[in-house]
Amino acid sequence: MRRILLLITFALSLVSTWMAFTVGQVVPVEKNITFEKNIVYVHVPSAICSILCFLVLLVAGISYLVTNKPIWDYIGAASAEVAFVFSTVLNATGSIFSRPFWNTWWTPSPRLISSAILWFLCVAYLILRANIQNPRYRARICAVFGIIAFLDVPIIFITARLMTDQHIANVEFESACQRASFGLSILSVALLAALLIWLKTDILKSKAIFEKEFT
Amino acid sequence: MNYFLLNFKAIFVKDIVTELRAKQVLPTMIVLGMLIVWILRIVSEAASIERTVMASAALWIAFLFAGLLVQERSFAVEQQQDCINALLLTPVDVGTIFLSKLFVNVVMLCIFEIIIVPVVLFSFQLSIPDRWPALIGVLLLGNIGISSIGTLFSATVQFSSSLLSIIVLVVLMPMMIPATFTLLLIFGAVPKELTGTGALAFVGDFNTAVGYLIAFDVVFTAAGWLLFGFVVQE
Repeated sequence: MRRILLLITFALSLVSTWMAFTVGQVVPVEKNITFEKNIVYVHVPSAICSILCFLVLLVAGISYLVTNKPIWDYIGAASAEVAFVFSTVLNATGSIFSRPFWNTWWTPSPRLISSAILWFLCVAYLILRANIQNPRYRARICAVFGIIAFLDVPIIFITARLMTDQHIANVEFESACQRASFGLSILSVALLAALLIWLKTDILKSKAIFEKEFT
Repeated sequence: MNYFLLNFKAIFVKDIVTELRAKQVLPTMIVLGMLIVWILRIVSEAASIERTVMASAALWIAFLFAGLLVQERSFAVEQQQDCINALLLTPVDVGTIFLSKLFVNVVMLCIFEIIIVPVVLFSFQLSIPDRWPALIGVLLLGNIGISSIGTLFSATVQFSSSLLSIIVLVVLMPMMIPATFTLLLIFGAVPKELTGTGALAFVGDFNTAVGYLIAFDVVFTAAGWLLFGFVVQE
């Protein structure tokens, strides 16, 4: 099952990468801006995926508090780590994009602030997790923090989208090919996120079994 | 309702009386706050930064760090001789314990504010003749937001005291943007025609920013009331 998902993800990401470089390539409007606009095929999917990971974190947190089953804790931890990866990609690609366009690596605009906050929330979750030894207590506190972190996200992340900003408001594509490759890239990144969460959950599960038996 | 008020009052009185008698944290808070204000005043003079800008930053930095001290104490004082277990064993709703602890922390920060706000206004030479009510309201809203998150996660200090600071600072980071912005407006650092531009597009005008603060307070207090039981019980 997981191998099939892995194969599908791999194939989809290959296809979407190929499309992004060929048929879906964003044609430069001005002469000096050439390549950077294509970063949209990585930037937007990773933004969407980090939000989705936060949603998983919320669901896992609530489910853990309700059912007390450790599997939800592992899912939450895995999704926080994946969210950390994707928000790092989000901020890094954003910086690469903003350097040639706005002549700065970072500027305090609503969307940039909100994605930075997203990154910090992931980091705080991981620090929290690393600092508490008792597994049951750690699971409970992390679940609570996951819920609180998600409460922060809509207030900031979604309202930031509604405001005037120097950030490009919405992506607009000219051709159907570009739209298709954009959709494919979102799909492949989402599948990748799901796969990573699945793998990390299994790793955490085996680690817990190992710790219980050998310590 | 009557039962709730009775419990609420009992825990509140216990906490506030022990603090006022022992004076564990209030002097530390005030000295820390004054030092922060003093250092930032010197910096603003040396680098000739606008006084109004630096004053609003100084106020919130002082509140955040003083608030952390209060919140750490609010659980540490229960940890001695396992008081927290006794408190949880009493037939009191955990939400009530949260609300009264929150109220203690808010009151302590209010005492701190009463002392530190005049210090800031005096040392930064600001005068806000007709904006007193707005200033008090904004400070109170920020105070409730800081205290609710800090009270909710105060139980994490038993693992490491830096955990609480990290959680509180990260979760409150989005709240600090409208909070600072409202103070900038109150102190007159932002001209009227510039509101809602640049980075401040985030918060719009004064009323929107206050709306944000109220939203944060309501959400965090409600979440704390619901989730506090999961954090303290062991």
